[in-house]
Amino acid sequence: MAVPLIRLENISKSFGRVRANHQVSLTIEQGRVLALLGENGAGKSTLMSILAGQLQPDSGTIFVDGQPLAITATDKAIEAGIGMVYQHFKLVGALTVAENIFLGRPGGLWLNLRTMQAEVVALAERYGMQVDPAALISDLSMGERQQVEILKLLQRESRVLIFDEPTAVLTPHEADNLFATMRKMTALGKGIVFISHKLEEVMAVADRIAILRRGEIVDTVAAAEVASTAELAERMVGREVLLRVEKSPMEARQIVLKVSDLTTPVLAGVSLELRQGEILALVGVAGNGQKQLVEAICGLHRPAPESVRILGMEWAEFFGRGNRDNTLSYIPEDRQGLATCQGLDLLDNFLLTTRGGFSRGPWLDRRRAAEKIGHLLGEFDIRPADPQAFAWQLSGGNLQKLVLAREFYRRPRLIVAEQPTQGLDIAAAEDVWNLLLKAREAAGVLVVTGDLGEAFALADRIGVMYNGRIVALFASDDEEMVALIPQMMAGLAAAD
Amino acid sequence: MLPMRVAKRQEPLGYWGSCVVLSVALLLSLLLSAGMLAIRGTPPLEGILTLFRGAFGSPWALEDSILKAIPIYLCALGVAVAFRLKIWNIGAEGQFALGAIGATWVALSFPDWPKFALLPAMAAMACLCGGFWGLIPALLRQKFRANEIIVTLMLNYVAILFLDYLVYGVWKDPASFGFPMTPVFTDGAIVGKIGTSSINWGLAHCILLGLVIWVFFRFTRLGFEVKASGDNVRAARYAGLPYNRLVVLVLVISGALAGWAGFLEASATVHRLQPSIMVGYGYTAIVVAWLARLNPLAIGFAALLLAGLRVGVESLQLDLQVPAAFGGIIEGLVLLTVLAGGLFTHYRLVWRRPG
Repeated sequence: MAVPLIRLENISKSFGRVRANHQVSLTIEQGRVLALLGENGAGKSTLMSILAGQLQPDSGTIFVDGQPLAITATDKAIEAGIGMVYQHFKLVGALTVAENIFLGRPGGLWLNLRTMQAEVVALAERYGMQVDPAALISDLSMGERQQVEILKLLQRESRVLIFDEPTAVLTPHEADNLFATMRKMTALGKGIVFISHKLEEVMAVADRIAILRRGEIVDTVAAAEVASTAELAERMVGREVLLRVEKSPMEARQIVLKVSDLTTPVLAGVSLELRQGEILALVGVAGNGQKQLVEAICGLHRPAPESVRILGMEWAEFFGRGNRDNTLSYIPEDRQGLATCQGLDLLDNFLLTTRGGFSRGPWLDRRRAAEKIGHLLGEFDIRPADPQAFAWQLSGGNLQKLVLAREFYRRPRLIVAEQPTQGLDIAAAEDVWNLLLKAREAAGVLVVTGDLGEAFALADRIGVMYNGRIVALFASDDEEMVALIPQMMAGLAAAD
Repeated sequence: MLPMRVAKRQEPLGYWGSCVVLSVALLLSLLLSAGMLAIRGTPPLEGILTLFRGAFGSPWALEDSILKAIPIYLCALGVAVAFRLKIWNIGAEGQFALGAIGATWVALSFPDWPKFALLPAMAAMACLCGGFWGLIPALLRQKFRANEIIVTLMLNYVAILFLDYLVYGVWKDPASFGFPMTPVFTDGAIVGKIGTSSINWGLAHCILLGLVIWVFFRFTRLGFEVKASGDNVRAARYAGLPYNRLVVLVLVISGALAGWAGFLEASATVHRLQPSIMVGYGYTAIVVAWLARLNPLAIGFAALLLAGLRVGVESLQLDLQVPAAFGGIIEGLVLLTVLAGGLFTHYRLVWRRPG
């Protein structure tokens, strides 16, 4: 057998105590599509950043054409023929297609536009693409922009092309075109890595499928050997519960959240009820409407009237009120960009959502808030335990604990937690789970997670989301339904 | 390859570290300025010394610097409030003009009022007019998503031309022999001097307003909300902060403070309205606000420094025949070096180890 283009051997990478990649071994072969399947936070991006030279592995070796190579910088990766097509395109909107493709290429002082354009057209034709080299990027559709990204790499003679969730921004028709281009590329001897969590696509284009979970490769299978997308889903989310947390039975009380027939461009008639004293876990592959549902509930996007009621109040009425203590706490997935202000200190970040309780008229009682956060930093074991430290100094786990400390301090009656343990190490995850279980005594908790183990550990009821709807909603001890979760996640069995 | 690389700081740059960075940046800008003097054949050391002597070397020079620092300080305090929210108000010049116009209208309309009534009325009107000039870009931003940088900048020209229209036309003093200026204000409309010095009571206004702004950001809920929204707009939405209302608030406060500066300049310095009060304090204020990292106390020092520069350049012009534009060059150099020094608040340089 030919020497693989690239072989990864036992690559490990940790951020603090979090293992982003652990002993990962993979081979990327010429003329083959390798799919990398995994939930958000499974370590896909870290692995690819290592290949692209943006991160250095803690241990392990990368072989290019059989020779070990340290990819210490991005230009080393380009030299080795590794190219990335990022989810967010790296193009200059005000320049033309040809100019973007040749941007950053070595050459003389003068540009020869005509040769550049001719070269682009010839290259595109070879791979069955059609582009106008003189068009401005800002005039192109997402699919066309992606073609420019691909041409950029082909022009550099990249031999390995890594696609990071390439279909996320494409229409179905554009996605089909992309797959055709990928087949052309493999026919011409390129190696392709296809990162995705869309099961059908992976089945459609991949030759081999590697499944990444919590930083480890849990499975590598030939696509031909996979019987169904349900089997893939099962391998991807796992079913083993890593930790057992004590869960005492609790009587569900009044309704704190009622979503009725919520419809948005992404959601297709979602309905659910959540009562004080219970945890409802929404599972499903990311991108099936979870984000839109959470954003509507938490006030970031206005839903249609009468479709969301919080604590007995209509959405608009609830979010029109000033002080939100003792009502809704939202623990978002994006701790750095949404839940905190990175440039402010911990005290100010604490006040971000609790400011109502520390206000007296126009004044803000910082001294009392400082006392409170001093206690909380100790109680939640947040490091550094210094209210004057900046949020950007905190690690992911500590930042999450800060957000939890703040949100629980407000004594919410409704908690919405999105991927609450993503990127946390096992010990920190256990802390978070215990906190959520304790909060359940006074609140209704909606947990959105891609980790089935988490759902089993926490939930009283489980809902499965697929394609903008909740396809099933059942008690977490309903073994029959639980067994069907992988099928439901893949959209195969919708038990109504 | 450079023998150094840039690495992100794990610990914030402390107070003393910031002082060192700032001093080095200022020194560097002085060195560059000296170099430019040398190029044009002026002895550099003598030039820089003349500059400083001219600015701070005598009681008279120092007083003159302080006088110029007063309007710069208030304009800078204003733009700093907007900058906290990352709203780029570069319209202090126009808001300053509107403030002067508003105060003048009161002074000319009610010349017989006693001082204790007339001065507060002038100040209030100046704030109102300056604030109104800040409200326009805020509303345009909200209704039509117009960029506040462009709108505030353009409104400067509108305001200056409006001021010209008034002093060349309806408000022109019939006894001015055709010069574009209003009649001199009555005594009641003039902010007086402190004791026997040439410095007016505007200095006290600066201290008071600086304190108010400091208290606003330190102790009030609104101030906190401005600060948090300025750091992260998405987090502001997450936490339910009234971002749109805050934009209006900061632009109005910003305009009101610049308007107050216009009132002082018309009332205390020239005792009338005339086009010569528009000398670019509103633009210098932007430099000052950045130099001081938006801190009210530091704005005081930065305002004095750049006011001194304006005064010192006059001596440079008289004694060594250096063109007046040199002042603008130094101002630009100071801003560039200090902004470049800002890199060190989040990054540090690390020597590359061989191999």
